[in-house]
Amino acid sequence: MSTLSYQERSLYGSLAAELIIYLPYFVLHHGNSVNKVAGMIFSIIVLQILLQSIIAAVTRHRMTDERDKLIQLRGYRAGYLTLASLMVVGLGMLWFHTLAGHNFPIHAGFVGLHFLNVFFGMLVISDIVKTVTQILAYRKAL
Amino acid sequence: MPGLSNTIRELRAKRSMTQQELADAIGVTRQTVIAIELDKYSPSLETAFRIARVFDVPLEQVFQYEPPRGRR
Repeated sequence: MSTLSYQERSLYGSLAAELIIYLPYFVLHHGNSVNKVAGMIFSIIVLQILLQSIIAAVTRHRMTDERDKLIQLRGYRAGYLTLASLMVVGLGMLWFHTLAGHNFPIHAGFVGLHFLNVFFGMLVISDIVKTVTQILAYRKAL
Repeated sequence: MPGLSNTIRELRAKRSMTQQELADAIGVTRQTVIAIELDKYSPSLETAFRIARVFDVPLEQVFQYEPPRGRR
């Protein structure tokens, strides 16, 4: 029976931190205030440091080898492709929205925050895709 | 199944060597040794040579290659 390596534990820790912070943030629409955006960024940094420190403390063998690097590259490729696809879809939707003659019925400050959240959401989705791809790559044949 | 297969488990058993001991000897994690033994990961040429050197046998005694059909 194989136990989890340091890299796998670290990935599960990252995924847990991402879901704990990002899910409430996006589901409960906390992105409508600059203070809440800043709070979320601060929270994810603190939680990641805390979880990764605990994982490092309880793991004896903390080495990285060629398989870890290969899996890491696969994860980054999946994350990059997701981000690029979301960007294309986002730009396409914006173009279609403008082409249809729709204007934003809200003030400019909110539009700025809205676009920041959309962009941030794309980064979050691609980061989660990267982490999940890496976790799955450890479970199946390469 | 065509592809790369190996006899690491048998060679290790003959020498009463644990997966962790082999992993330490070739500079990879125990999980990578497990993945190689189960044919879930094809190691780099350098790691393959390191494994053969640890067991003091030729490379082809550790790894066998069966090409997929149509590529012979």
